[in-house]
Amino acid sequence: MPSGKTLSAVWKGVKSFFTFWKDFLVGDSPVLALGVVVILCVAYLLRGSAVLAPVSTIILVLVLITFAVWQKTKTRRRTPIINTDKEDKTRA
Amino acid sequence: MIDQSAVLLFITVALASAVEATEALTIILASGITRGWRSTFEGALLALACLAVIVGVAGTALVLYVPLYALRIVVGTLLLIFGLQWLTKAILRQTGFKPPHDERDIYDKQVETLSKEKGILRGQRDSLAFAISFKGVLLEGMEVVMIVISFGLANGSQNQLGTAALAALVAVAVMTAVGAVVAKPLTKVPENYMKLGVGNLLTVFGLFWMGEGVGVQWPLGDVFLLILLAIIFLATLGLIAYFKRVHENQTEVEL
Repeated sequence: MPSGKTLSAVWKGVKSFFTFWKDFLVGDSPVLALGVVVILCVAYLLRGSAVLAPVSTIILVLVLITFAVWQKTKTRRRTPIINTDKEDKTRA
Repeated sequence: MIDQSAVLLFITVALASAVEATEALTIILASGITRGWRSTFEGALLALACLAVIVGVAGTALVLYVPLYALRIVVGTLLLIFGLQWLTKAILRQTGFKPPHDERDIYDKQVETLSKEKGILRGQRDSLAFAISFKGVLLEGMEVVMIVISFGLANGSQNQLGTAALAALVAVAVMTAVGAVVAKPLTKVPENYMKLGVGNLLTVFGLFWMGEGVGVQWPLGDVFLLILLAIIFLATLGLIAYFKRVHENQTEVEL
C-alpha cells in the first residue's frame, strides 16, 4: 500500500504534467483553443458540401483571429503595457 | 519535379525552428556567460537528446498505429491552435499593443537573475546552469518537435518526417553557428516578422489538414494551400492596418 507521501508526490506529478500540457496547448488564449474546436465541429458537419465547408471554415478562422486580437487589445487598453513577456515563457 | 507543399513545409519548419533556436540560444548564452559553459552545454545536450528521442519514438509510433485521417485531425487542430496563437501575438506586436520580442532585454534580465545566485567552485558542476539550460532548450524545442512531427506525418502518402527533421536541424545548426561566432544574443534576427510568417503558415497548414481529416474537399487540392496562404496573409495585413490605427488613436487620446 503506497504511503500518503508517495500518493501526494504522484498527485503532484500528474497535476504538473497536465498543467504543462494545458499551458502548452491552451496558453493564455483559451478562446483560440475553443474556437478551433468549434471550427472542427462545423467542418465535420458541413463536410459533404463542396462549397459551404471550405468557405465557412475560412470565414470562421478569420472571425476567430479578429476576435482574439480585439479581445487582447481591449484588455491591454485597460492595463498599461509592461514588457515582462511573462506569457511567452513557453511559446512564440 | 519539386513538390510545392514539400517546399512550403521545409520553409515553415525551418523558420519556426530558427525562431525557437534564437530564443533558446539567448538562454544558453546568458547561462554560459554567467555560470560557466560546462554544465550549460550538458543541460542543452541532454535536452536535445530528449527532443530527438521524442521525435523518433512518437513519430514512428504515430506512423505505425494511427490512421492518416485521425492524424490529420489531431495535427491540423494543434497546428491551427499554434498558428493562431503565433499570429495573434505577432499582430499585437506589429500594432503596438504588445512590445516587440527583444532578445537583448531577455538576455539582460536572465544575466541579472543568474548573477545574483550563489557562485560555484572552479571545475564543479553547476546544477542551476544545467537546469536553466535544460529547461530552456526543452521548452523552446518542444514546439519545434510538435511542428516537425505534425508536418512530417500529415502531408499525405509520402512520409516527410525526414524532410521536416532536416529543416529543423539545418535551422538550429545555422542559428547555433551564428550564435557561436557572435557570442551574444541574436538581436538582428527579424524575429517579430518571422513569427508573423510562421503564424500564417501554421494557420494555413493547420486549417488545410484539419479540413482534410474530417472530409472537407478543398478545391484544386494542394494548390489551394497557396490560395489559403494569400487569404490569411491579406487578412493579417488588414488586421494590422486596422488595429494600428486603433492604437494610434488611443495614444493620441491619452496624450
